[in-house]
Amino acid sequence: MITSMVVFEQIMNGLVLGCMYASVASGLTLIWGTMKMLNFAHGEFYMLGGYVLYFALTVFGVPPLIALVLAVGIVLFLGMFTEKLVIHPLLDRPGWELSPLMVTIGISIFLQNLALRLWGERFKNVPYFLDGTFDLFGIRMAYQRLIIFVVTASVMLGFWAVLKKTKFGIGLRATAQDRDAATLMGVNAKKIYTITFGISCAMAALAAALLAPIFSVNPWMGHAALIKGFITVVLGGLGSFEGAILGGFILGTTESISVILLSSEWKDVVAFAIFILVLIVRPSGLFGTKEW
Amino acid sequence: MDYRIVHRIGIARISKLRSERSFYVGTLLLAIIPLFIRDPYLLNVLIISLSFGVLAASWNLICGYTGIFTFGHQAFFGVGGYVSALMAMKAGISPWFGLFIGGTVAAFLSFLIGLPCLRLRAAPYVAIMTLAFSEIARITCMNLVGLTRGEMGLWGIPNFPDIHIPLIGVVSFAGGVRVPYYYLILIIFTITMVIIHLILRSHIGLAFRSIRDSQDAAESLGVNITYYKLLAFVVSAFFAGVVGSFYAHYILILTPSSVFPVGLMIEILAITLIGGIGTFLGPVIGALLLTIGLEYLRFLGDYRFITYGILLVMVVLFMPQGLGQKLFREKEITE
Repeated sequence: MITSMVVFEQIMNGLVLGCMYASVASGLTLIWGTMKMLNFAHGEFYMLGGYVLYFALTVFGVPPLIALVLAVGIVLFLGMFTEKLVIHPLLDRPGWELSPLMVTIGISIFLQNLALRLWGERFKNVPYFLDGTFDLFGIRMAYQRLIIFVVTASVMLGFWAVLKKTKFGIGLRATAQDRDAATLMGVNAKKIYTITFGISCAMAALAAALLAPIFSVNPWMGHAALIKGFITVVLGGLGSFEGAILGGFILGTTESISVILLSSEWKDVVAFAIFILVLIVRPSGLFGTKEW
Repeated sequence: MDYRIVHRIGIARISKLRSERSFYVGTLLLAIIPLFIRDPYLLNVLIISLSFGVLAASWNLICGYTGIFTFGHQAFFGVGGYVSALMAMKAGISPWFGLFIGGTVAAFLSFLIGLPCLRLRAAPYVAIMTLAFSEIARITCMNLVGLTRGEMGLWGIPNFPDIHIPLIGVVSFAGGVRVPYYYLILIIFTITMVIIHLILRSHIGLAFRSIRDSQDAAESLGVNITYYKLLAFVVSAFFAGVVGSFYAHYILILTPSSVFPVGLMIEILAITLIGGIGTFLGPVIGALLLTIGLEYLRFLGDYRFITYGILLVMVVLFMPQGLGQKLFREKEITE
C-alpha cells in the first residue's frame, strides 16, 4: 500500500542520502574541474573521516562538534600531504590522462588495507550526535538527520560563496579555466592544486563523519561512496559544482523512491541504469561543459 | 595516404620484435615446468597467475593498445564463468563448449556495453560507464538467487570431461588433479597471446594504436572508428569470458563477490601497469611477478596488500613504462 506518507518519508530519506552524495561528489567534481583528474582514493579519505570521528567520539570522548571539526581538519591535512607527495610529481609529465588515476588506485589499496590492519575488520558503531526525534508533518525524524541536512547545506552554501566571492575562489576558478593564463596573472596554480585536493578530501570526510552514526564505520565503506560519488558527478556534469549538488539530491531521492516500487536489493541497479541512460542521452550531464 | 600502406611499414618493424622470441622461449619454459614441479600448491599458483595473465593481456588490448580506459573487465570474467557453469549444470552442455559459449556471451555483452561508450572520449567517462555496467552485472547476479544461488555460492559445477588425446591417452580432470588444468590454461594462454600478437601486427592492430594516439587523426585517415572500437571491446571481452569459464570449471564454486568484485579489476590494472601497459609481454610479466610475488610475500601477512599499494604508486611515479620494459627493453612495441 503506497500512501503519500510513505512517499514523503522516502523523500526525506532521499534528501539525507542526497546530502551524502552531494558532498562526496562535490569534492570529486572540484578536483576534476581544476586539475582534470579523477581521484580513486576519494572513498578512502571518506573512510578516514569516519574513523577520525569514531576515535574522537568514543575513545577520546570529545564533544560531537569538535570531533566533526577534527575529522574534517585531519583529512584536509592528509589530503594536502598526499597531493604534495604523489600527485605533484606527476604534474606536467606526459600521460596526465591516466597517471593520477593509477596513482590514486594505489593509494586507495594502501589506505584501505592499512585501515584493515590497524583497526580491524569489525564494524564500528558511532553514537548519534543528539538523541531524540521530532515530528515533521506527522513523520518522526531523528535529530541526526536534521543535523546532516543543516550542516551539509550550510557547508555547501559556504563553499559556494568562497568559490564565487573570495580571492582564493577566483584564483581557483581561473586555474580551472586556463592554468597558464592564471599563472601569468600571478596565481600560484600548484598551491591552488594542493589546497583544492585537500578541500576535496575534507568534503568527503565531512560526509562520512555526519553519516557515521547511521551507517557504521569500516575499512570498506569508501567503496560504495566512491561509486555513488562518480555517478552523481557524471549525472550533474563533471566539473560542475552546482551539478554535483543537484545530482546528489536527484540520485538520493530516486533511489529512496525506487525502494517503494522495487525491493531494496535492486536500488543500486536503478541508480546505475539511470546513470547509463543519462550518459547515453546527454553525456555532458545536467550542467556539464563539452568535454566528454 | 591509405593507412594500409602505413601498416605495411609498421609490420616490417613490429615483426622484428624481440618480445616475440622471449614469448616463445617463455612459453616453452612454462610447458616443461610440470616435469619438475609436482607440488599441487605451486601448480595452483601458476594456474592462477596464467589466468590473470590472460585477463590482463586481454584488458591491455583494449586499454593499452586502443586507449579505451574500461573499468569493468571483471564483469566479462564473471559472466563467462557463470554462463558456462549454469549451462553445464542446467542444460548439460559440455564445459568444453562452455569455454566458447562463456566467451561468446561475454563478447556479446561487451558489444552492448561498447555501443554507448562510442560517444565518450574522456577516459573518466568511459571508466565510470563501464564500472556502472559491471556493478549492475554483479548486483543482478547477487539478486537472482533462484538461478545463481546468490552469495550462498554456486557449487556442484562439473569438471571438464575426460578427453582422449592421441599418443598421450585419456586425460582426466577429475579428483583435484592439477597438471591437466595447468596444461589447459597454458594452451588457452598461448592461443590468446598468439591471437593478440596476430591482431597487433595486422592492420587491425595499427588501427587500434592509431585510435589510441589520436582519434581525430585516425578518423581523418579513414579508420572506421566505430568498427575498430567495437572490435576491441568484443575481442578483449571474449578472452576474459573464456578464462572466466575455465576458472569456473577449475575452482568448481562461484560467488558474485569472488568473480565480480571491483577488486578484481584493480588487480588486473595493477598487474598490467606494473608489468608495462601497452607492451606485448608486460601483462604476462606483471601477472607472474605479482601472483607469485604475493605468495612469497605471505611472510608479510596482512602487510601484503599495503606493499602492493605502495608498489603501484612507485611504478607510476618512477617507471611509468612498467617493469617489463626495464627487464626486456622492448621499446619497439610501444611505437
